[in-house]
Amino acid sequence: MIDYFALLGVERRPAITEEVLKRAYFRKSELLQSDSAEAGELSAVNAAFRTIANPATRIQHLLRLEFGDPGGGQIGADLGELFGLIVKVLQNADQELASLSVQSSPILRALAYRKLDGLRQQLEQVERELLQRESGLLAEVARLDQSWLENTAHARRPLAQIALDLTFVQKWLSQVRERIIRLEELA
Amino acid sequence: MSDIVGIDLGTTNSLIGVMDSGFPILIADRDGSRLTPSVVYLPETGDPVVGAPADRMRALMPERTLYSIKRLIGRRPGESEKEDFPFAVKSLNGRMLLEVGDQLLKPEEVSSLVLKKLKVDAETSLGHAVGRAVISVPAYFNDLQRQATKRAGELAGFTIERIINEPTAAALAYGLDRLRDRSRVAVYDLGGGTFDISILELNEGIFRVLSTNGNTRLGGDDIDRELVRLLKERITGRYPELRPELDDRLFFARIREIAHTAKLRLSTEDVVQVEIPFLSGNRSFSYALTRMELEAIARPIIRRTRSHCLRSLDDAKLDPVKLDEVILVGGVTRMPIVRQFCAEVFQRLPNITQNPDEAVAVGATIQAGILSGVVQNVILLDVTPLSLGIETFGGLMNVIIPRNTTIPCKAGEMFTNAVANQTSMQIVVLQGERELAKDNWELGRFNLEFEPVPKGIARVGVQFEIDGDGILHVLARDTRAGREKVVELSSAVDVSDEAVEKMIAESLDHAFEDMSERVWTEAVLKSNELLPAVRSALTLVGDQITSNDHRKIDLLVLEVEAALESHDSQRLKKANAELDEGTQHLATLLIDRAMSEAARRRK
Repeated sequence: MIDYFALLGVERRPAITEEVLKRAYFRKSELLQSDSAEAGELSAVNAAFRTIANPATRIQHLLRLEFGDPGGGQIGADLGELFGLIVKVLQNADQELASLSVQSSPILRALAYRKLDGLRQQLEQVERELLQRESGLLAEVARLDQSWLENTAHARRPLAQIALDLTFVQKWLSQVRERIIRLEELA
Repeated sequence: MSDIVGIDLGTTNSLIGVMDSGFPILIADRDGSRLTPSVVYLPETGDPVVGAPADRMRALMPERTLYSIKRLIGRRPGESEKEDFPFAVKSLNGRMLLEVGDQLLKPEEVSSLVLKKLKVDAETSLGHAVGRAVISVPAYFNDLQRQATKRAGELAGFTIERIINEPTAAALAYGLDRLRDRSRVAVYDLGGGTFDISILELNEGIFRVLSTNGNTRLGGDDIDRELVRLLKERITGRYPELRPELDDRLFFARIREIAHTAKLRLSTEDVVQVEIPFLSGNRSFSYALTRMELEAIARPIIRRTRSHCLRSLDDAKLDPVKLDEVILVGGVTRMPIVRQFCAEVFQRLPNITQNPDEAVAVGATIQAGILSGVVQNVILLDVTPLSLGIETFGGLMNVIIPRNTTIPCKAGEMFTNAVANQTSMQIVVLQGERELAKDNWELGRFNLEFEPVPKGIARVGVQFEIDGDGILHVLARDTRAGREKVVELSSAVDVSDEAVEKMIAESLDHAFEDMSERVWTEAVLKSNELLPAVRSALTLVGDQITSNDHRKIDLLVLEVEAALESHDSQRLKKANAELDEGTQHLATLLIDRAMSEAARRRK
């Protein structure tokens, strides 16, 4: 497998600032465009940037390079609880959206739309909750990053857990946001 | 050095440009015009006429004058709502075809005629042949639409060096003299037929697209269509006996022109006198159309761009306040209401320094300059607008390359046999954002061959690659021989010819006509829902409509009530529909109010 950190020429560790990563990516892209590289190389550099820019995929890639597998297993217990709530809110939203989208009378739709404010508030509440988790997890990554060189082996399990949790938080966030936008769309 | 030209192949107008001493220059035709209407007139005998002279034939020969072809290119029949063109659009063997006299033309063939004209203009102006071109397409074009556009270019005799996304091109035009800047810009591109929103990061000559979204069937054409409807209503209000004549194709073409011109003028004027002399016999029609009326029609259409803007901001992980500029391009952005709308969504005054008609062509020309080496130190990192996936068991879409992935990009998938001795497997390739496979565009399908082995033992790797044009290439890797071979996708939609479509439409329309009792019950249910809704809407926002509109709604309500007494189900259905239609504006006001209430609460 390709070492994306090496391909871009950035340090192989859990955290990396956006500035540093972008500078490396742009430098590499410039180099490749000037000697008219083939699409395959450009694709690899693009994939490297994409993988490393997202903390969840970055950590999984890092763990794979260091230990041969990204680890992981089950999401954290507190996330499990939140998951129950998210499922309920999403189902509720989908039901409302479905019944609203088959409504052909503009006036009936408009009146129904007014009643959806509660639903929107629920979705926004869940979104805030998820954003909080996300920033908590990222703070944890930053902490582990500080002692990464001395404590690589110790960081393995917590990082695997964080990467997995982050993957789910990101997925739920995009699902929740999609519903918020669809509400707007029905207006 | 061979020149590469840049072309904006627009829904309404097309342009061509070339780099001249380091600057992008748009080329004028013999008549001194840089805008070529994307219109083709096919006379019964003789050569096709393209551009302004063809445009003038629109009202005279509506059946032979083809326009807005970009709305059909790369499309499959039955993909979305029917377009109302005054010329004949047929579907045959899963393709959209234009029928003029006894000729059947593919949309890309018609577009190639426009491109050929631009090619001749450029060659005349430059004094030598041009063979290579960059053509722009809406960022939200899918693989099939991109391929068809590329083919149009090839049919016109060009080698297509690159397909560039229109908002990206506009960003290049904006950013070329700001190469030292670092900024984030949104390009809001609302043209005749398509809408795109792209968010880019400009970083010392690197133009990186962060996200893109849009709708390839949303644009100024939709506003024109609604305006035609309004004018027809006003005409029949005055001359009820003219109703049947208004459905005439020739008349439709004429009124469409008038509506379009009135719309353009209302961007700078508050009232326009719409004159239709000798409408029928010696009856003439004159009507003072206000900008407010036009805006009431345009608002719901423009509002449809909102969710696309929100999605692209979301995908770029940006708050509107983090943007440095919102650049407007596309003719429709001349409308004051569009500018207000953008100011609201993005919370800032939009940048209108770019010529809305020319920015894309200028950008395509700059891209041509980058490819030919005339423009240096500029790098474009664009993205694929739509997720690419395959259909999985159970009819779901499995995403392989997510939307907004920087191109070129590749992704590999490994396939195995689900049962012992299975010799082949059909893979359906999809593009779109919906969870169910059938709700996405099917790009095509192909067969993977397996060796006859026990279940789960076969291994065939397939590589999906999206190139710099946003076009997909599929490679199958024979793991044992280590060979790769290009896979041709084939279209499976060979069934939906017109007869089938018509059948389906009719079966839906008429299936329940006999069961009049059921129709009646359904219509009564609808009236019982509708009447109280209208009443409560009137108490909420009734003060915001004119007394004239109020009276009209009252009349429509009375008609529903009278129809309820009549036990005539057709009459009730019609009355319901008319009340729906007549309260559209009221619904818009209600939603406006709900939105501003919600916004206030959130602060």
